[in-house]
Amino acid sequence: MSQTRQTTTGETEEQIRDEWLEYDFEGETALSVEDLDVYYGDDQALQSISMDIPEKSVTALIGPSGCGKSTFLRCLNRMNDRISAARVEGSVEFNGENIYADGVDLVELRKRIGMVFQHPNPFPKSIRDNISYGPRKHGDLDTGLVARLLGRDDRDEEEDLVERCLRGAALWDEVKDRLDDNALGLSGGQQQRLCIARALAVGPDVLLMDEPASALDPIATSKIEDLVEELAEDYTVVIVTHNMQQAARISDQTAVFLTGGELVEYGDTDQIFENPQSQRVEDYITGKFG
Amino acid sequence: MSDYGAHGEQNIVSEASTADYLAVVPLVLGALAFVAGWAVVFQWVGVRDALAGVQYATLISAGHLLAGVALVGVGVLSVTDVIDNNPDSSVGVVPAGVYGAFAFVAVGLVVSQTLGQGALVWAPAGLVAAAVVAVAVLAIPEDLGVTLPVAAFEFVAGLAVVTGVVGPSWSWSPVGFSATFVGQTAIAAFAMVGSLLTVWAAANAYRGFGARGREYGAYTLISVYAVALLAVLALLVIFVVQNGLDQVLKGAQLWPLHVPFVTNGFGLRYDVNGIYPAIVGTVWLVVGAVVFAVPLAVGAAVFLTEYAEQGRFTRVVETATNGLWSTPSIVYGLFAFAFLLPRIQNHVTLLTGQLVLGFMLLPLVLITSREALQNVPDEYRDASAALGVTKWQTIRSVVLPAAVPGVLTGVILGVGRIAGETAPILLVLVREPFSSEAPSVLGSFHFTSTAPFVTNDALLSPATALPYQLFAVITAGVGAPIKFGWGTALVLLLVVISFYAVGITTRIYFRRKLRQ
Repeated sequence: MSQTRQTTTGETEEQIRDEWLEYDFEGETALSVEDLDVYYGDDQALQSISMDIPEKSVTALIGPSGCGKSTFLRCLNRMNDRISAARVEGSVEFNGENIYADGVDLVELRKRIGMVFQHPNPFPKSIRDNISYGPRKHGDLDTGLVARLLGRDDRDEEEDLVERCLRGAALWDEVKDRLDDNALGLSGGQQQRLCIARALAVGPDVLLMDEPASALDPIATSKIEDLVEELAEDYTVVIVTHNMQQAARISDQTAVFLTGGELVEYGDTDQIFENPQSQRVEDYITGKFG
Repeated sequence: MSDYGAHGEQNIVSEASTADYLAVVPLVLGALAFVAGWAVVFQWVGVRDALAGVQYATLISAGHLLAGVALVGVGVLSVTDVIDNNPDSSVGVVPAGVYGAFAFVAVGLVVSQTLGQGALVWAPAGLVAAAVVAVAVLAIPEDLGVTLPVAAFEFVAGLAVVTGVVGPSWSWSPVGFSATFVGQTAIAAFAMVGSLLTVWAAANAYRGFGARGREYGAYTLISVYAVALLAVLALLVIFVVQNGLDQVLKGAQLWPLHVPFVTNGFGLRYDVNGIYPAIVGTVWLVVGAVVFAVPLAVGAAVFLTEYAEQGRFTRVVETATNGLWSTPSIVYGLFAFAFLLPRIQNHVTLLTGQLVLGFMLLPLVLITSREALQNVPDEYRDASAALGVTKWQTIRSVVLPAAVPGVLTGVILGVGRIAGETAPILLVLVREPFSSEAPSVLGSFHFTSTAPFVTNDALLSPATALPYQLFAVITAGVGAPIKFGWGTALVLLLVVISFYAVGITTRIYFRRKLRQ
């Protein structure tokens, strides 16, 4: 059975088959995307995407530039709301709740689904303040003067949190002696791991990563990759990359987006890279186009 | 040999030769002439004063001639390949145009003034001269095109002065023109224009013409301009200090430190009349204006940048703000006089002065705050939103701290302007320009248990301010000698500089906090 829709781009006029998108996994579903369309003004950036993302694993989104993979990622915690021209249709269910339903608390949603960006973007504050920023703003940590006077000083908790998150992001040993230094003094790779630690600090279930290593050198990249694999033990990681080796190395399942905003194939990473079913995916992976 | 790429003779490393040093001669002479020109303009030396028995006018003209000779020497040595240079085939259109303009002015003046011809004669004559000079310059190689016309200017200027055609005692009142040009001004102008041309040509020659030479020439010219500009500022400050220091230090002693001009009021009971009330008045005016305007302006900037939909509305507000900033200050004063005054006490008060200066400060702080907020990277906002932090919390804890240095820049600029404003406070602040008592704002707060709970008599009383006092002394000649005004000017300058110092220190502190 094949979909009726014709592909509009690519070298072959190939139709996407439903079985290319079927992926049976063991374990729970973290995010379930159903018929997701995204428009920027009159341009359609994503065309009816449906996929289930399993929890506590690494899901890689790959595809050529402009294929909509970053747009898709930003739909998962509604960061696209911040672009006024973007319009989203369809549904994304997180723990059984549609995050595009009315009355969704964006603050709570983004606490549960954190995000790491392409370019490291630490705040111009100390390393410690970067990590405790989220919990402080959520009222989970209070180290202010008033709290101290009232005897509700959370500074010990803050210390624990900072250490736990920095360890979690494999950065603790490098910065433990300079937690009060400005984060902008760290190297690019360290800044990116700090951003991951900052995202961990609000206690998310899902981490969305938008090409987190593309602005980094090979050594920093490999550290981030190791970290991503470790994080998958406790978190659901969805990572956008245009480095196919990276996707093959670190992910458990891979979704291939191709030009025009279509999800062409989704499945086990080994299967996608060794035995892709779609001719276009095979061409893309072997470097024939894209 | 191809027209492109490296040419055979040119070494990559070129050592300075004796011939290059020849170009230093006009460079130094040009610099000296520049200084001499300034000195004459500021009347530190008269052109008829003598140095070692020689009139300054003669010295300056000798400098002109010497620079001209050196430039011709460099040009001729270069074109005969004695100096290994790298000139282009022509000097280019822009310098040729400048030379043409000089020729137009020179020939036009000679034909109209010396030969007494009308516009129908001198204008075509000037145009022909300009065209001839420009075409001739374009036809000769760059090394001659740079040096010869400049040398020609130097010769003409030097000869004119040394032969007394435009000597120290020369004066010229053009027909139908109320101004009179005197030798002093003409010689200074010759010196400065000639020095700029000479420095440019010599710097160009020093680097062997061509692209390198042009770059170095332009760079040197810009440096000279920049230095001259800074020199003007420095001269202004020095001039005020020179004139005001005596008055400020009148009756002053070092230990124990006592400067009566700064600490006394104005009145019969003071042995030395002072301006303390005006200093305090100015400080309170500025503090009041800042307290009133900065929160409003920053709030408006936050609304316009972070909340309002970017579109026609924000553009209109932006244009209106820019318009307000360029509104003449006397208009603000008139507004305050007609609108605020009847509503506050119905007579002049310190509060009205603070408010009107606050109104003036508002647009600038709004403009700079908006710019500072727009310059905060969106990445910070994204990062904060992705952590589930609300917009207002993000603005307060990330966006505003990152924008503080920019906001402070606006406050510093604005305070510098309003501290010296006279016009807006003319009508709303002062009853007695030379007052004997300073307003005691902090000591005048009275708290009551019934509404309005807090009152302040000092804010609702007339006050005086430094710029107003200065204005009163200089124009109206009221009450105090002109010397008193210079002292006031110096103190006003110091007060403004202290405001700058406070603002800049705060800005450095916040910048450090963001970067270290």
